[in-house]
Amino acid sequence: MVTSVEAAVKSLRQISTEPPVWFLPKQELSQAVRATSKLLFSTLKSHCTKSPFDELLIEGFDAEQIWQQIDLQSLPLLSSLRREVKKFEKHPEEISKLKVDVEGGKKKALEEIETDNVVVNDEDVEDDDVDMEDEEEEEEEEEEDGEEKERGMEVESENEGDENGGIEDKFLKIKELQEYLEEDEAREFGLDKKKRKTETKKGKEDTEEEEEGDDEESEDGTDEAEEEEDELGLFGGDDESDEDYLGNARYEDFFSRKKSKASGDKAKHRDMLEEDSGSDDEQHADKEVKDQRKDGLSNHEKELDKLRSKIEQMEKANLDPKVWTMRGEVTAAQRQKNSALEVDLDFEHNVRPAPAITEEVTASLEDLIKTRISEGLFDDVQKAPTLSSKAPREVKELDENKSKKGLAEIYEEEFVQKTDPASAPLSFSDELKKEASILFKKLCLKLDALSHFHFTPKPVVEDMSIQTNVPALAMEEIAPMAVSDAAMLAPEEIFSGKGDIKEEAEMTKADRKRRRANKKRKFKAKAAKRPRDNTSVRNSDEGREV
Amino acid sequence: MLRRNIRLRREYLYRKSLEGKERLLYEKKRKIKEALDEGKPIPTELRNEEAALRQEIDLEDDYTAVPKTHIDDEYANATVRDPKILLTTSRDPSAPLVQFVKELKFVFPNAERMNRGGQVISEIIESCRAHEFTDVILVHEHRGVPDGLIISHLPFGPTAYFGLLNVVTRHDIKDKKAMGTMPEAYPHLILDNFKTKLGERTANILKHLFPVPKPDTKRIVTFANRSDYISFRHHIYEKPGGPKSVELKEIGPRFELRLYQVKLGTMEQSEAQIEWVIRPYMNTTKKRSFIGNDQESDDKRKKTKA
Repeated sequence: MVTSVEAAVKSLRQISTEPPVWFLPKQELSQAVRATSKLLFSTLKSHCTKSPFDELLIEGFDAEQIWQQIDLQSLPLLSSLRREVKKFEKHPEEISKLKVDVEGGKKKALEEIETDNVVVNDEDVEDDDVDMEDEEEEEEEEEEDGEEKERGMEVESENEGDENGGIEDKFLKIKELQEYLEEDEAREFGLDKKKRKTETKKGKEDTEEEEEGDDEESEDGTDEAEEEEDELGLFGGDDESDEDYLGNARYEDFFSRKKSKASGDKAKHRDMLEEDSGSDDEQHADKEVKDQRKDGLSNHEKELDKLRSKIEQMEKANLDPKVWTMRGEVTAAQRQKNSALEVDLDFEHNVRPAPAITEEVTASLEDLIKTRISEGLFDDVQKAPTLSSKAPREVKELDENKSKKGLAEIYEEEFVQKTDPASAPLSFSDELKKEASILFKKLCLKLDALSHFHFTPKPVVEDMSIQTNVPALAMEEIAPMAVSDAAMLAPEEIFSGKGDIKEEAEMTKADRKRRRANKKRKFKAKAAKRPRDNTSVRNSDEGREV
Repeated sequence: MLRRNIRLRREYLYRKSLEGKERLLYEKKRKIKEALDEGKPIPTELRNEEAALRQEIDLEDDYTAVPKTHIDDEYANATVRDPKILLTTSRDPSAPLVQFVKELKFVFPNAERMNRGGQVISEIIESCRAHEFTDVILVHEHRGVPDGLIISHLPFGPTAYFGLLNVVTRHDIKDKKAMGTMPEAYPHLILDNFKTKLGERTANILKHLFPVPKPDTKRIVTFANRSDYISFRHHIYEKPGGPKSVELKEIGPRFELRLYQVKLGTMEQSEAQIEWVIRPYMNTTKKRSFIGNDQESDDKRKKTKA
């Protein structure tokens, strides 16, 4: 039995476990695996009673058929094994009997198989698409179950131990570690320790701890490690003393402040724990612990994690210098090149934008123009009203009526105008015009007098005018060259009177009285007449007696 | 010439000083006239002077009734003779600018185009005064696109600075046959929405570039003001079906003018008084319209009020 097993294992070992090799089907690889499986099959054959095959038939069969052969052997085998396990569960004392038998002789094999298990577990993780691999795993398990079914729990526990750790190597063995810790704890806490390991294991564990690579590790570390391992041991649960151990344990042993539940994988992690135990930041330790554990976080703890990370972010942002958009007045030198192009800058433009000339605008303009044209309303330049320098021409009104003057009279007037323009009557039709022309002539006379040295007075027009008794020179010449004594009026014009003219000195009293009485009478008559008649031409001879 | 200029300037300054008193007088006369027209009693402060003023009112005619400002005095004699315009460019013009100026020469009747060469502005203006030009127009550009127009009225007249936008020249429209030739009759003018004082002033400046037209010309030049942007359009019209139907055909260049400065001297007088200058940085410029009534904002205001 043993030799066949050894042979099988040997052949198994020869097959390479590198994953790349298994990606492509190779002829020699498949041959080796088939040979191995045949050997294993034959070794297991002894335990099976019902299998129809004596040995695994390989030549000429494909993977599916070989697999079915194995199935035929293994399925009944598995069911029998299950029954055995259940039996052992109910009666644990039988296991110890079994174990004693097996342990001494099979230690070596145990170690071998442990390594094999490691190999197997590694292979478990690999790509399962390759048929050979599956086959091999199945056979590995079979082998285990077949050979070591007496060992039962131990095998399972070892698998568990491996799952826990994954850091097994020639120095660190979790199982040994667990045993040592239990022993140590028993010593410390005064528990009954059943199992006493050898000193060598302790030594091994010392090296273990050194290997974990912490200079600061001290007795505290070992205590904590012990605690951890203790808990592991609890979960591993393969020792006989576990049950008693469990009975004497307290809450504080396991759920202490540190809450060190992590497996002995990271030394750093333990390091952090003891450092933090000294410091005030307990939450930090908790957090670190929890960080390591990915599973088992409660919702509340997850929220707290999120909050913490948020707070960290915000604190970090506050400490950093601000973004340039938040900094107030920023010149080009203080920000990155072209960074203003990425930001949406908003200016208030104080100027109306230029009008975009669209169709509508043009149409509206054209409408305006059309209306203006049709109305004829243009804003052209107007000629300013010029002051006319000429006098307004006489507008001769054509009279419809028959002329009152005869033709001879008309010719007469024309002749007179040509020869002697001064004496010609005024040819104006309008009274106002006559008045105006008279005024104008007066004005012209004055102006001429001012401007001419040789002055010819106007001929006197025969019209009724008042002649005043003014010396002639006053009327004729403004700047007289000669003096003339002649008065304008003739003597008879001055006084035209008849009868005796008495001087003042010659008058008698009666004459004077008479004169005065006449005056009074006249005056009274005048006073009565005056409101009626304003413009009375006074007679020059007042002294005239009626 | 120099002494004449000095005398004219002194007259101008004197008239400017009289302006205040004349304005007062005018106001009084206007009030009396109004009161008389409406049949209301004459305001008490004018009672003493009422008789004398009444006499003056009776003797006034249209020409003397309006008070003359020194500002528009520049155009007092403009209508007596036809305007004579000189067109030039900035120095070293590009080919498109030269083409644009050639087109403008046909737009303004009685206009002359001159190459700029290396002349100085003061030289140009002196020679124009000597040759009795009435206006000088300078066109500026930016990389071939005309972007500035300066109109200077000549004896001492005002100078208006415009910016040009959205310029479309006749040369851009390639199809010459469709455009046809440009008629050179004196055009009718349409000046729309020049309502404020500054608007009236601008309208005057633009108006007096053109001579008095014949009443039956078919050519129309339009300056329409929309929110302080003056659109220039040049059309020929026809009345094919009776007097009411009008058909327009657009000829000539088309551009928008934007007034940014009016100075009370010619171009060369850099120290002349600025009559008006645009202030784009003021917070309320957007809400105000300087040249005419802004239809849109008026409507908006009415809506908000209602």
